[in-house]
Amino acid sequence: MEDLPLQKVAISGPTLTYMIQRFSSSLGDVDGFLFGHVTHIAPSTLSDDSPQTSSDSDSPQLVATVTSFLCPSSPLSFYDALGRVDSSSLHRFLSPQTHHQFIGWFSARRKTPIRPSMREFSVSRSLSTNSQLSFPIKNSENPIKLSPCIFLLFATPLQDQLIHTHEYRAYQFRVSTQSFEPKSIDIVNIGPAFRGHYGSFSPNSPFPMLNCELSSLSAMNEDRRDEALSEIKQVSKDQRELDMCAEDFPVSNLSRLIGSEASNHTAGLENLYEKMLAKIDSLARQVEKSNAKVFEQEAHNRKLRYKVARTGPE
Amino acid sequence: MSFDGFPPFISAQLQYLLAHYPQLIKVEQVWSGSKYFPGSLDRFTLLIPYCLDYLRWDIIYNVEFPLAAPDVIFGPEDENFHPFHDLGGEGGDLRLVKNSLTDWNNKDPARLLALIEELRDKYMSYQKKRVGEVDDDRLKFEISTILSREGIEMHMSSGVEKAEEVKFAVPLMDMNINKMVLACPWRHPQRIYLQVVYPVGRKYVSAPSAPRLKLMSTAELKALFSIDDVKLPPWLDGMCLAEYLPHLEQLLQRQVSEAVSLIDVRRRFIEALAPLFGRPLEADPVFCRKATFLSASGPFTLLVHFFLSTQFPKQQPSLMLQSTQHFNSHGAPAKSPLLNDYPWSPRWEVSQMAERVFDFLVDESVNFKRQCNESQLQH
Repeated sequence: MEDLPLQKVAISGPTLTYMIQRFSSSLGDVDGFLFGHVTHIAPSTLSDDSPQTSSDSDSPQLVATVTSFLCPSSPLSFYDALGRVDSSSLHRFLSPQTHHQFIGWFSARRKTPIRPSMREFSVSRSLSTNSQLSFPIKNSENPIKLSPCIFLLFATPLQDQLIHTHEYRAYQFRVSTQSFEPKSIDIVNIGPAFRGHYGSFSPNSPFPMLNCELSSLSAMNEDRRDEALSEIKQVSKDQRELDMCAEDFPVSNLSRLIGSEASNHTAGLENLYEKMLAKIDSLARQVEKSNAKVFEQEAHNRKLRYKVARTGPE
Repeated sequence: MSFDGFPPFISAQLQYLLAHYPQLIKVEQVWSGSKYFPGSLDRFTLLIPYCLDYLRWDIIYNVEFPLAAPDVIFGPEDENFHPFHDLGGEGGDLRLVKNSLTDWNNKDPARLLALIEELRDKYMSYQKKRVGEVDDDRLKFEISTILSREGIEMHMSSGVEKAEEVKFAVPLMDMNINKMVLACPWRHPQRIYLQVVYPVGRKYVSAPSAPRLKLMSTAELKALFSIDDVKLPPWLDGMCLAEYLPHLEQLLQRQVSEAVSLIDVRRRFIEALAPLFGRPLEADPVFCRKATFLSASGPFTLLVHFFLSTQFPKQQPSLMLQSTQHFNSHGAPAKSPLLNDYPWSPRWEVSQMAERVFDFLVDESVNFKRQCNESQLQH
């Protein structure tokens, strides 16, 4: 686990917006996990003669990108009052997939000064010194690992203001100096100025490979059936997953959309789109219903908490 | 200040803290972090006395989870203060640490007090460490000679605009002033401190300048003894604190004992007034700084207020007359301005002092009555 300085923290506009929305709609203060990745980037400004920057280029240029977050809606969910991280409760929130994307945490508190608190320092320190939580840096030449050292702090001003309603800052916890280092936040948005960010985009969703010529593939391999059996199994498994996404639309039909006869088959494709839209619509309704249930449950929990709190000390 | 807006557990802890903290602790502001209920308070700023100044610490509870332990945000200049940083070190022994936060119990009202006391102790060692790291020979010498004094506090102030300074708060005299005062009403022990401020020296300065010195005392001591009246002995060239302090302490000890004995002089004066004015309506029984008598000049009844300074009898009492029959346009009783200019000698016997004041007031009350009647006619 290394203690390398980050150049900046990048976060997409929608993610930041969603975090702020989550904060401003919460009843009290909230905190949670940050997921994303740290990438090694080539220095963008190359110059022929600048000996003073050589020291900079010695250390790799690292950018942390926050892609998503998780907010457990209750404080002290993965650390104690002193700020010591509790591994077992931490792992309840991290799945094996997200484990390596856990790059830090955030805290959002109303009407407080925008500087890390006593407990926030301890939590970040505890996360940064835990070697079990380290994750590899993407596309770096050496297998360097980094700890979840990112900390995003959100606050609202002490006095209500009309225009400026939320403040946020990014920090990296440095183990070597045992302190928070402020980092600039780069908000990635869509637009010509940000085209560069999407140039290096590579999709990483678990969508199966589009292997749409299953029948011809198996015909060719007829004499080598034994070796190919596992391959065929894999292909048919892929096909099943694909069919689920494609709503019974045979993917091989896509090939017919090329050429002069294309116009005869567009109806089938439109049918597919309609089915997909209907599915999305029903999903949205389900989310809405379950959200309402969650809200109801939260309101109930809140009432119970109040009941306990209002009883007061004996 | 009322703390009704806090959930009962938090309110109990805050009230316990204010009532039991050894020094006077203040709550600067209280507010809420709740979205929908700005009336349910859960955070406040404490002013904690330290080194003759205040530490401003924000104590942040969570109104949604009032049973959970609070968090603390320290001042902006203390970003390197991490009280629980050294606990356990790197080895992970942190799990074994026990302190006021690890076994937080919301039902115990003494918990917040324990936390603040622990944090303040940590802050004291943090500042001591910072001051110890300053590379200044004179300072190092001064620290080595006065460090053994009990209760000394130090503070290193540095800022972008300000020059670096080291401030000491040296408690003076090992005497319990509270005990010297009969029927002492003070809840907190009263002390006198010397504030010493050293600018952090630059190497090339050959003759170090005198530090900035200022006497300070706890607020309530003013009723007995005003430190503004003390003239500090001069700081000679090449002097150090260890040389300066004994001399100053002797001086103060003498003056405080004198101030205590002056209470009796004031008491005897007030007692001497009684045969002439009658029993006082109201008198300050502990420090004897105030007394009020009901008096009459013919049919005109008036109150006579006596204000005695700590310098009595050197300084004559200030008198104020108050009519029981005349009121100003706001409906408040008509009062005379403070009367300080009448025959007086500190060398008189107390009975003579009382007689002379009485004689003066016989004439003055007639004047006062006339003034009251005149202003009444104008309205």
